[in-house]
Amino acid sequence: MQQLIFGLANGSIYALMALAIGMVSSTTGIVNFAHASVVMMGAMVSWWMMVIYGLSYIPALFVAIAVSIVLNIVMYETCVKKLGDLQDNVGWIITLFGASIILDNIARMLFGTEPQAFPYLFGGKMVTFFGANIMLHELMMITIAVVIGVVYQTIIKKTRFGRAVRAVAFRPATSELMGIKSEKIILSCFAMAGAVAAIGGALIAPITFASYTMTYSIGLKGFAAAVLGGFGNTKGAFIGGFILGLIEAFISIFVPAGIKDSISFVIMIIVIIFLPEGIMSAKFFNRNLSAAEKV
Amino acid sequence: MLKVDSLTIAYGKTEVVHHVSFDVKKGSVVTIAGANGAGKSTILNTIVGLHRSKEGSILYKGEDITRTAPDRLVSKGIRLVPEGRQIFAEHTVEENMLLGAYVEKDAKKIRDRMDQMYDRFPRLKERRKQIGGTLSGGEQQMLAIARALMTGPDLLILDEPSLGLAPIIVKDVFKLLTEIKQTGVTILLVEQMVDNALSISDYAYVLETGNIVFSGTKDEVKNSDDIVKAYLGNV
Repeated sequence: MQQLIFGLANGSIYALMALAIGMVSSTTGIVNFAHASVVMMGAMVSWWMMVIYGLSYIPALFVAIAVSIVLNIVMYETCVKKLGDLQDNVGWIITLFGASIILDNIARMLFGTEPQAFPYLFGGKMVTFFGANIMLHELMMITIAVVIGVVYQTIIKKTRFGRAVRAVAFRPATSELMGIKSEKIILSCFAMAGAVAAIGGALIAPITFASYTMTYSIGLKGFAAAVLGGFGNTKGAFIGGFILGLIEAFISIFVPAGIKDSISFVIMIIVIIFLPEGIMSAKFFNRNLSAAEKV
Repeated sequence: MLKVDSLTIAYGKTEVVHHVSFDVKKGSVVTIAGANGAGKSTILNTIVGLHRSKEGSILYKGEDITRTAPDRLVSKGIRLVPEGRQIFAEHTVEENMLLGAYVEKDAKKIRDRMDQMYDRFPRLKERRKQIGGTLSGGEQQMLAIARALMTGPDLLILDEPSLGLAPIIVKDVFKLLTEIKQTGVTILLVEQMVDNALSISDYAYVLETGNIVFSGTKDEVKNSDDIVKAYLGNV
């Protein structure tokens, strides 16, 4: 039971990261390779706010969200729009990777190389749940992730903004003809992804410790989850994230911790070989759908 | 209504439209005819703000709109029904219509327009919950036009509305355009197959490799044997 909740809790953060990567890639076709660094920055900035400025968890998180939103918007304006050529899909890959390296090193200089203890929500309070001791924080991770997923899905499916996001994703030029400012929609997606990145980073930091290496230890798993679930597929992001979290949690019972982190990538490679469009593309999930309805 | 003056458009260094001028009078139907690659779509995309012109000016209701952004033009009453319909295939029919009304903030106005459109296009009403991609070509064209009418435009521009449609459906489309004209909407059409377009037009221009080579009323075009043979097929 403990492993189950632990797996789901970590998985929910992977899911959040995959969701944020999907928010951007489904509207623009851009895979934000600097996303993992923004997750790390989210964690580090909230740690800083708590330690240096003595803010409590929630206000610190809001500062981190604001910083991450700004970071993502700046990255879009510079790495994608100014430097990266959208027609030729090489520009932004390089510039976003570069941004990731810059962010990591800024974090290293600002916050030091030492991993920092990060406080839990509710002061690390434990609850007994089906006879297992579970940290309230872990339950909050799952809840927050699911709430964000549901809210995002609802916005995309039901609102005027969501219709416009889907329209821009499908036909940017035709969307302009409808009077939609594609540019503004894309910026909002980058901003949303930044906010979600910060939340994910701050939620998982108590478990992993806050450090500039989170980019690779945690952030990359967001990509693994995104590949598992299929890029840009909201439900897929959650399924991918949870599967990854659970597999990791249970496998770590049997294998040393060092190997654990490689598991997600082994899974990712297997999925890419057999189901290049993610597990949601498997026949099992699409029995009753016509081809056009697969989103 | 619309006055295009000496418009020159280039893609990169390649100039594709050279000093083209034409006029669309209020309440009229004007056709620009021409073969593939003549620059017809380029001109339309430039009018609606998707593409920047190199030189020349575009006046709409006496106002210079040469550098105006697409969303502003929609608010001002210019709508383009793009080539190949370009409906949102993964949105439902109703969502397509709502996207058409994106710049309209007044929910009641949107609902009224939607009801009007459903009255005019009962097929779309039947299928309003269906996703756009499942409609037939003719239905998609109706949807593309209905979507453009959602903001009650003054100038409706259509890029090859007959493209890829069965002749009988093309007849329906042009019958519909005549009805739309009668409601006071000015129409600018671009066509390769001009037989139908010409029959509803007041004035026509013939475009060849980025130059206007002929212009005249419907009858003048029909009576000009050379033009008919060279560009228009059998009229």
